[in-house]
Amino acid sequence: MNNKIASRRVSHSRRRGQPVERDWRQHHNQGVWREVQEERRQESIPRGVCLSMCPIRELQDREAQNLLHRFEVLSGTERERWPRADPSGVVKEYARPAAGKDSTRPSDLRPPAVLLKTVFYLVDNIAASPTLRPWTEVYDFVFDRLRSVRQDMIIQRVSGADCVAVLERTVRFLIYASYRLCGEPLRLYDPRINDTHLQESLSWLLECYTSGKHPNQEEFQALGLLYNLGSSRATQHTMELPERIRSSPVMHLALSVSRAFMERNPVRLLRLAHSLDFLQSCALHRHLVTCRRDLLLIYSHGHSSKNCRFPLHKLSHILALDVPLTNQLCQAHGVEVHGDSVVFSKTTFTEPEAGKLQCAHFHDLVDRKQRDLTVGSIIHGCT
Amino acid sequence: MAHITINQYLQQVYEAIDNHEGSFCAELLSFKHPHVANPRLQLASPEEKCQQVLEVPYDEMVAAHLRCTYAVSNHDFVEAYKCQTAFQSHKEENWKGKGKLGDMLEKAAEQLMGCFRVCASDNRAGIDDSKKWGMLFLINQLFKIYFKINKLHLCKPLIRAIDSSNLKDDYSMAQRVTYKYYVGRKAMFDSDYKPAEEYLSFSFQHCHRSSQRNKRMILIYLLPVKMLLGHMPNHQLLRKYDLMQFADVTKAVSEGNLLLLNEALAKHETFFIRCGIFLILEKLKIITYRNLFKKVYQLLKTHQLPLDAFLVALKMMQVEEVDIDEVQCILANLICEGHIKGYISHQHQKLVVSKANPFPLLSSSS
Repeated sequence: MNNKIASRRVSHSRRRGQPVERDWRQHHNQGVWREVQEERRQESIPRGVCLSMCPIRELQDREAQNLLHRFEVLSGTERERWPRADPSGVVKEYARPAAGKDSTRPSDLRPPAVLLKTVFYLVDNIAASPTLRPWTEVYDFVFDRLRSVRQDMIIQRVSGADCVAVLERTVRFLIYASYRLCGEPLRLYDPRINDTHLQESLSWLLECYTSGKHPNQEEFQALGLLYNLGSSRATQHTMELPERIRSSPVMHLALSVSRAFMERNPVRLLRLAHSLDFLQSCALHRHLVTCRRDLLLIYSHGHSSKNCRFPLHKLSHILALDVPLTNQLCQAHGVEVHGDSVVFSKTTFTEPEAGKLQCAHFHDLVDRKQRDLTVGSIIHGCT
Repeated sequence: MAHITINQYLQQVYEAIDNHEGSFCAELLSFKHPHVANPRLQLASPEEKCQQVLEVPYDEMVAAHLRCTYAVSNHDFVEAYKCQTAFQSHKEENWKGKGKLGDMLEKAAEQLMGCFRVCASDNRAGIDDSKKWGMLFLINQLFKIYFKINKLHLCKPLIRAIDSSNLKDDYSMAQRVTYKYYVGRKAMFDSDYKPAEEYLSFSFQHCHRSSQRNKRMILIYLLPVKMLLGHMPNHQLLRKYDLMQFADVTKAVSEGNLLLLNEALAKHETFFIRCGIFLILEKLKIITYRNLFKKVYQLLKTHQLPLDAFLVALKMMQVEEVDIDEVQCILANLICEGHIKGYISHQHQKLVVSKANPFPLLSSSS
């Protein structure tokens, strides 16, 4: 009976023509079989050989069709009918994968070292450039080219330190942009698109951290928690991190901020926010709107009394805003201000009209922290 | 089972189907059954044999299952997963090895959804034969996966489907207990504590007396919810179900002892985090503040309480870096949540509480 089964197996594998099964039966060793499978898998992963920031073919195509970006054009040829490409400035653009288009051609893919070089170029020469304007256009260019870098990484299944180095800078860039471009008109900057890509890159980065040692892990776990303040998913993820990461100073602070938010203690939150560094404040800043609103709501209920007065300067101190802005904020929330006193009342508090409150007007707390930090140092993380 | 021939196996499957022996048939197709270790059944291409003995669609299903046992014996779990698509292996223990667990579970969930849709849209058969009876079972499996991969929002459409079904009270009690357990946990997650308490209480009460392990699991989620609503468990209950981790937490909350609460949460942190209840237990802090401040009120026996008294109380509890502004905020929050009736006068630095019932019962203000 057994022989019959064995011979049936032989005929199956012959029919399939797979060397793997034969190898397995010969070695009868799980480890060896697994290695062979691994080798087969490695052979099928595309490996890029393009050593420049942009594949030659694409450079030539775009130059010929006049599709070069303003930043990619050879200086002096901008006003010509067919501006020429600056080979040191052309960067592979993002292209949606399409049926019939082979995105795995090695000559079109950049290996990890070139990808990192490309990211450095984008940060140092474009994002951090003191002359290129407006920054919304700088952002668009860097955003798109970074997306193309990530695409090359995905196709080549890049992982480990190379991947982490690229993603860390991407996340820092997107967090910085979420703050710097906050308030720009929708046609120039869409915060939701920025958010989507930021979340994707962050998830990928956190996934990379699960294997190997990464010196910046605490920084990014903290940034993730602050950016996603209030999210049960993000908080639960953080709680499940190893003790030694959670107890690092940067995580301890981020967790305290998170706890203050969950307990609805905006006074504590705003006080802790003073200790955050610039980039952390950028990550947190959009939640400050909710935080300040919570404070006014809580105080409207807690101090609700016709005869009581709350000093305006005190309120502005705990809101971390100057007096005129505090006044503006109170007005938007239906909180009455008489001279230098606030009269809280639970019946007058209202949610501000949609679009009336501009987050960008209240950026003081974060602005002050930028001081003389350069964009380059912010994104490379050498602050 | 480990030594029968392929023909004998197929014969058994055929008879099980013919005699409507659902559970035995399920065993013959399950990975927990010893037959999967039988090398005679581990075939790479069993389709022909199956077709000889069984009818459509069973021949395909069983063939897939047998291909799967073959793949598993070769430790090719990716291939195995691909084969076992007709059956839902919600027992993720089978899929360890290659491939990321999360991805596998997601794909398994997709397959289950396919089955679920088939069941839900079965309008042709009469009520006795209807595939709709499979709905709750499949939903429970999907819940397990969604909780494991942390995608709770996917539970919503399933809950809606059951709510609108006319069979919802006629499924077996076991299935309903499981269902309410997951729905209760989801409600907890969404901070809907009253419905969460209802679902989890139902689940606990109707869970069979002999399933101690299941009762304990339900209790792990029921306890925090009850505590948030002001009902503390007694020690007997905690001891009976081996949940003494909650003992210190309970004591701390009812005494208003913030220090003990923080210590208790830190001591059993790993356990609470693993169960996913750490964050909810942290919410008990607000209840603890309320109980602590009520003590201050009872001690001072006045309706105009100096804010400083509360600051002193917090400092006694070794709360870090708290100042008078924060005290005001905590009190204001308690008033806003309805746990204290009164108002704060900043000028007089006092909390003025209502003369009638200034600290309403927790269950009425949650």
